[in-house]
Amino acid sequence: MTQDIKFIQGNEVCVEAALYAGLDFFAGYPITPSSEIAEHMAVRLPGIGGKFLQMEDEISSICAITGASLTGHKAMTATSGPGFSLMQEALGYAIMTEIPCVITNVQRGGPSTGLPTHGSQGDVNQARWGTHGDHAIIALTASNHQDLFQITVEAFNLAETYRTPVILLLDEMLGHMREKLIIPKVDEIPVVKRLRTAVPDGVDFHPYLPREDGRLPMSDFGDKHRYNVTGLYHDMWGFPTSDPQVIHGLIHHLMDKIENRVEQLTRYKEYFLEDAEVILISYGSSARSALHIVKNRRKRGERLGLLELQTLWPFPAGLVRRKTRQADFVAVVEMNMGQIVDEVKKVVDQHKRVFLVNRVDGGFITPENIKDMIRLIQGRGV
Amino acid sequence: MKKHPMLKYLKEQGPQGDRLPLIMCPGCGSGQVLNFIFMAIDHLINEQGYQKDNFVFISGVGCHARLTSHYLNFDSGWTIHGRTLPIATGALLANPELHPVVITGDGDTGAIGGNHFIHACRRNLDLTIVCLNNKLYGMTGGQSSPTTLNGETTSTNPYGNFEADFDLCELAKTAGATYVARWTTAHPTKSVKAILKGLENRGTSFIEILSQCPTHFKQSPSQMIREYKEKTVRLEKMQEDDAGKIPIGEFQDMRKPDWSSSYRKIVQSVQNKTIQD
Repeated sequence: MTQDIKFIQGNEVCVEAALYAGLDFFAGYPITPSSEIAEHMAVRLPGIGGKFLQMEDEISSICAITGASLTGHKAMTATSGPGFSLMQEALGYAIMTEIPCVITNVQRGGPSTGLPTHGSQGDVNQARWGTHGDHAIIALTASNHQDLFQITVEAFNLAETYRTPVILLLDEMLGHMREKLIIPKVDEIPVVKRLRTAVPDGVDFHPYLPREDGRLPMSDFGDKHRYNVTGLYHDMWGFPTSDPQVIHGLIHHLMDKIENRVEQLTRYKEYFLEDAEVILISYGSSARSALHIVKNRRKRGERLGLLELQTLWPFPAGLVRRKTRQADFVAVVEMNMGQIVDEVKKVVDQHKRVFLVNRVDGGFITPENIKDMIRLIQGRGV
Repeated sequence: MKKHPMLKYLKEQGPQGDRLPLIMCPGCGSGQVLNFIFMAIDHLINEQGYQKDNFVFISGVGCHARLTSHYLNFDSGWTIHGRTLPIATGALLANPELHPVVITGDGDTGAIGGNHFIHACRRNLDLTIVCLNNKLYGMTGGQSSPTTLNGETTSTNPYGNFEADFDLCELAKTAGATYVARWTTAHPTKSVKAILKGLENRGTSFIEILSQCPTHFKQSPSQMIREYKEKTVRLEKMQEDDAGKIPIGEFQDMRKPDWSSSYRKIVQSVQNKTIQD
């Protein structure tokens, strides 16, 4: 049977995967290096009867997708750093009101306007902590087009399963790079549908009362159930409350539904970890260079391994602790000033074994860069 | 005791029925405006066969927003300050069967959400925006808003407001809204008719209703409502010596294709082309 093979940009992969996952509503605002996502959505959505909307800014883009999701549609927006900063307000609203949606951030250099046409991984902590107040978040990433397709579909699946916004962290390198993609066949990747309440007409619907399995069925705006949504602390009806017991339950629910499911939410790949003396931990496009150098040094008999993280938040602490136990040292490869390395230091038995291997000058971190720094760490000179 | 006929649109009974009475200060105009909206909706449901389930209330943050989430027997989104319109935009365009009733205020529309307001009007989305203009920020303690009149004293203009005020109706009209009207709580029948017309209009309708805030203006509600009669003038009857009076009436009443019907044409042309290819 013939395969559907494409040679496309990462941003386009994200679009195709989102459509595969059932997206039919996109709202966005042009910003480099994410604009191709909006452009491809604009081409693709009318043909399938979906809605594409170019909004007046990133604030309204994320608001529009939350509104669309409330009517039962799968929705996404895409942006880059400055736009992601503007989205933090409504991201908090989506977390608080438990509205499923996907926010793609094709990262570029920052702060501020930074370096729009060059890659960076500087928004990892913003994805976790950008919006105010205690909350938990799911953030995913990938290093190649085939994985990106899979992870994008999973982003939608996790958003629906846990009724939460999911951040998809790409970077300029991945978004603009062209490589081969085999489009998965229908049903090859499972797609999670919106879980709607089975409560019959005339019976009160509790939008914030979890089922026994922890999932919260939704209703659609316009459907027969009365459905109230507020960004205030609210009870199981969705009505505002200042009852300390109810608030305590709400905040713990918002945290626990994600933080207590780290194992289920963890997506990762590993290469040569069994006997690795030196373990690289990387993610996104940086992991491409890390994998290259690991394979290269393996050929020379050096025992390097790579743990590639695809789930960045909730941070897979248990996985990292388990996998790095035998290593002499751990090098975290990322294109920022050390955003994941701090998380790794928190969980590795001796944090002095953990080093940062980074590059933040707008250039892509190369296998050579990594090799040089590992030699320095090993005391072998460059 | 005979019940108020609009009470059926509030959550009065059942496990959620302990929300009344309204949280508003005595003499506030918000409850009046909610009544106007209900009367318009009631007419559409009873006389024109509109489905109750299709009405969705979306509000921002401020006194006006308190009308939605607590009490309504409708689907409602009490959203983010100023972001009322983009959230309503998403809901409407994803499900064009909905009749979004956007309840907003002068701060929500004229200040923090000003840009969203302009673009909602420009797109001619099939939304009905009811703006409760009390000319200050009531919920946060009576600070100046973009519609506070020049010379007015507020908690952030203790020496008098020296800035110009915004005419939201003129803004809506210029930005492309297809039905625009301003009335006051002293004009209940006109207000209900305007909201009704707005809901029937397939496009962006903006109905501004001047709504008294006796708490922060430290005046009696009856005096404020009386002034709404005295200090306003019908748009079509305005004379030169009416300068300083607030124009009321219909600022715009025209028809043009709304966003969804224009988009539907694009969808059809793309799909037909795909079939031909």
